[in-house]
Amino acid sequence: MTAYTRPLHGLSRSDEPRFGGKSANLGELLTAEIPVPPGFAISTAAFAAFVHDSELEDRIASALTHVSAGDIDAIARASHAISEAMRFAPVPEAVRAEIAEQYAGLGKDSPPVAVRSSAVGEDSQDATFAGQQETYLWVRGIEHVCDAVRDCWVSLYSPPAISYRLRLGDSGAEPAMGVTVQLMVDADVSGVMFTCNPVSGDPSMVAINASWGLGLAVVGGEVTPDDYLVSKVTREVVREHVHTKDVQYVPDVGGSGAVRLAVPEEQREVRCLDQPALERLVDVAKRVERYFGSPQDIEWALARGGEQELFVVQARPVTAVAKKQPAAKPESAMSLIMSTFGAGPPKGD
Amino acid sequence: MATTAPKAGAFPSPYEIETPPGCEGWEEMYPYYALFDERRRETDEKRFWFWNSMHFPVPMPAFDVVCIDSPYQAVGSWQNRVFAVPPAMGIDYRCVNGYIYISGNPVTDPAKIAERAEFFQKRAGYYFQNWSELYGKWRAKMEALIRELGELEVPDLPEYEPDEVAFGEDRNTAFYELLTAYGRALRLGDLMWQHHFEFLLLGYGAYGTFAEFCKSNLPDIPDQHIAQMVAGIDVLLFRPDAELRRLARLAIGSGVDSAFVQGRTPQEIDAELSQTDAGRAWLEELEKVKDPWFNMATGDGLYHYYRSWLDDPSIPYASLIGHISALQGGEQIERPTEELARERERLADEYGALLDEQSRAPFNDLLALSRTVFPYVEEHKFFCDYWFLTRWWNKIREFGALLARHGFLEDGEDVFQLSRYEVASALDELVLTWATGGVPLGPKHWPPIAARRKELLAKLNEWTPPPALGVTPEAVTDPMTIMLWGVTTERVHEWARQQEGGSVLAGAAASPGVVEGAARVVKSVDQIGDVRDGEILVCGSTSPAWAPIFSKIKATVTDVGGVMSHAAIVCREYGLPAVVGTGRATAAIRTGQTIKVNGSDGTVTLLDGQGSS
Repeated sequence: MTAYTRPLHGLSRSDEPRFGGKSANLGELLTAEIPVPPGFAISTAAFAAFVHDSELEDRIASALTHVSAGDIDAIARASHAISEAMRFAPVPEAVRAEIAEQYAGLGKDSPPVAVRSSAVGEDSQDATFAGQQETYLWVRGIEHVCDAVRDCWVSLYSPPAISYRLRLGDSGAEPAMGVTVQLMVDADVSGVMFTCNPVSGDPSMVAINASWGLGLAVVGGEVTPDDYLVSKVTREVVREHVHTKDVQYVPDVGGSGAVRLAVPEEQREVRCLDQPALERLVDVAKRVERYFGSPQDIEWALARGGEQELFVVQARPVTAVAKKQPAAKPESAMSLIMSTFGAGPPKGD
Repeated sequence: MATTAPKAGAFPSPYEIETPPGCEGWEEMYPYYALFDERRRETDEKRFWFWNSMHFPVPMPAFDVVCIDSPYQAVGSWQNRVFAVPPAMGIDYRCVNGYIYISGNPVTDPAKIAERAEFFQKRAGYYFQNWSELYGKWRAKMEALIRELGELEVPDLPEYEPDEVAFGEDRNTAFYELLTAYGRALRLGDLMWQHHFEFLLLGYGAYGTFAEFCKSNLPDIPDQHIAQMVAGIDVLLFRPDAELRRLARLAIGSGVDSAFVQGRTPQEIDAELSQTDAGRAWLEELEKVKDPWFNMATGDGLYHYYRSWLDDPSIPYASLIGHISALQGGEQIERPTEELARERERLADEYGALLDEQSRAPFNDLLALSRTVFPYVEEHKFFCDYWFLTRWWNKIREFGALLARHGFLEDGEDVFQLSRYEVASALDELVLTWATGGVPLGPKHWPPIAARRKELLAKLNEWTPPPALGVTPEAVTDPMTIMLWGVTTERVHEWARQQEGGSVLAGAAASPGVVEGAARVVKSVDQIGDVRDGEILVCGSTSPAWAPIFSKIKATVTDVGGVMSHAAIVCREYGLPAVVGTGRATAAIRTGQTIKVNGSDGTVTLLDGQGSS
């Protein structure tokens, strides 16, 4: 048992090769007692079993034969062929049974979950190219969960993912991928935050983007979110821009999935985070950054309902931060003062 | 001021400024060298001059020009001749329609800069290394100087010299004693300015370097956090108000607080207090506080009409009334010094921890040095600008009173309408005719001059000076201009844009928060009585002595000043939004106009065209 799945709680960095970076990171966050919605991780072995049981190896290999990195049409044809084959292959019974058991453990009455790919062995920026950023929100019922898991696997053979691996000189035959299944937060407000100002590189700031509804609208760039720059040191808002937020994603009341709706007129221009909410976000941002020891890019959600409970749904290292040019050599206080008066080497900025 | 590829056009040429109607002949109040003279048009027209509204917000009375000459003699001496700040010599000034424009003299020759750098490193290094010891000596020196000023006698001119002159050893007649006293008074002023600037550049430089370091490593750090990490908690400048708070508690404790009624004059309050034992005891306690703490000025001290609390007790009494009524209302009036001190350390620790390892050591060293120099930066104002200068003006008033007694002036106060040379000249004639028994011409000569100049100043006061004159510099590189006036490249370019109009003023974000309200433009300290509750103060600059008005207003906007200016410091204390260094708020904004002050991003938006000038 539990060959293919593990609860997120208890996963650590060292599980990354088997469960992927996203699941491993969420496990670390739970260890750090960051509020993360409960869930489970599906291992790369589950994907391997899927390919093996349905005897997909040969079909994948033959579809990719003679496909070269620059040949867009050939890649598209191969992607189509592999995807079609995968889509009709069943999730192996043993994997399905484990998923069902873990899923049942998350709650009664088919609780809504988010199903996301969890990339292996690549940093998040590469994963974007590799197409391993699939996210399925508000998935309900074991059938839909299994479909979403399979869709994540299929995404490994999307045209960009194939061409990315071809460019790397990879045979393209045996990529690995984990999947994360996490209880869904019905978000009133959600967004992303950086534990530094990615524009200026200031490490004393938390840069927060926020909009109404599920995180899809912000992550997908479909709205211009509210933009807050908050001091880690005093938790005061240093700068803010409240934008017009005209669309939001909300759960499909009747069934599975999220629907895109217009934000009610009177809510569009409203500042979607108040001071206490900003302070809670900054506190969590600082804890996450301290735990990982480097600037983090965090996806978060405030649950609908009185308390607006805060959840972190994802955290990864910030990849692109404006860094000031490091000084050629460390400058002493006195030499800096001398250069203020023009009595030293020119300032290095 | 370094100017590469100068750009003309945005600011008027100093030679094109017109004299306001009825102000013809204003030049007679000022020395020949203070004017934009045709004989040096060639050079002066090509320079960048900015209005020093921080120190000289209103037209200069003739005598007060001494407070331009002496400081610029002193600051230039230290900067250029003692420390030899490599790229910048001293500051030139010119007067236009009574307003003072300044421009730094750059050093551009690289060899010269290198030569000066050697002096600077050695000499400034010595000061930084021995700061606390040197500053201790400085305080003693200033206290001695203030004592000497107090002891300086302005002799009267007797009918007959006393016997000592006839029979004594040390036999000087009154003519000599009076001229000597006047000369000595002027020299004591020079000496104060010399002391004033001994530490100032280095102190501001150390602090400025720390601020720059913070901004380069923590680009979004609010300016007020930088100031909070450095500023002292228990500094001298807060003592006067701390004493008033103590006196307020004492008044309540001894049951005499009912005398402090809003609207009463200090005399009326004193009169009621002096009727009871408890009231008299309180007045005795007040007397003890007065020396030295009532030597606060009602303004920044560079004009003769900025008096001290001793001269004009209405300001401390207004504070007392405010404190007492706050206490009666159950409010807490103490500054939470322990909390402020803890917060100061917490900010420093947290920011330090956020920096990378390579930056942490210079951060800590610069912070420590900034804290070492800061007592001087904060305290020199009390010793020099307030304590000494208010007493010095009073000493000059004694000469004015003497001239008035002899008919040379209608009113002793008119002495400030004469230049210091003219006063010397009047005194010369006075002692001459006293000695000879002749009939002086002075009584016919000086009163009409003083009367005309008072009229001129009143008319010039109506004129609005442009923020700058001459050629717009590509970049402001003079470290002194940036450090002392906050006049940066961005600021100058913003001024230039505003010359073409626009309803948003930009300055430095000095104290966070956003408020909207009616503006009250206050051009000089004697107008602060006009300020109504809930208005937004718009002024050239403020000094801590404006304290009573900060409990009434809801935001402050100034023309000149950086985040270390008094308006900025006091607004942070009071939790009011402040935008400082807008360059032209007092010109662009009218009293009554609705404005929005954003102290977080440093902008002031003019929301309607209304208001009265």
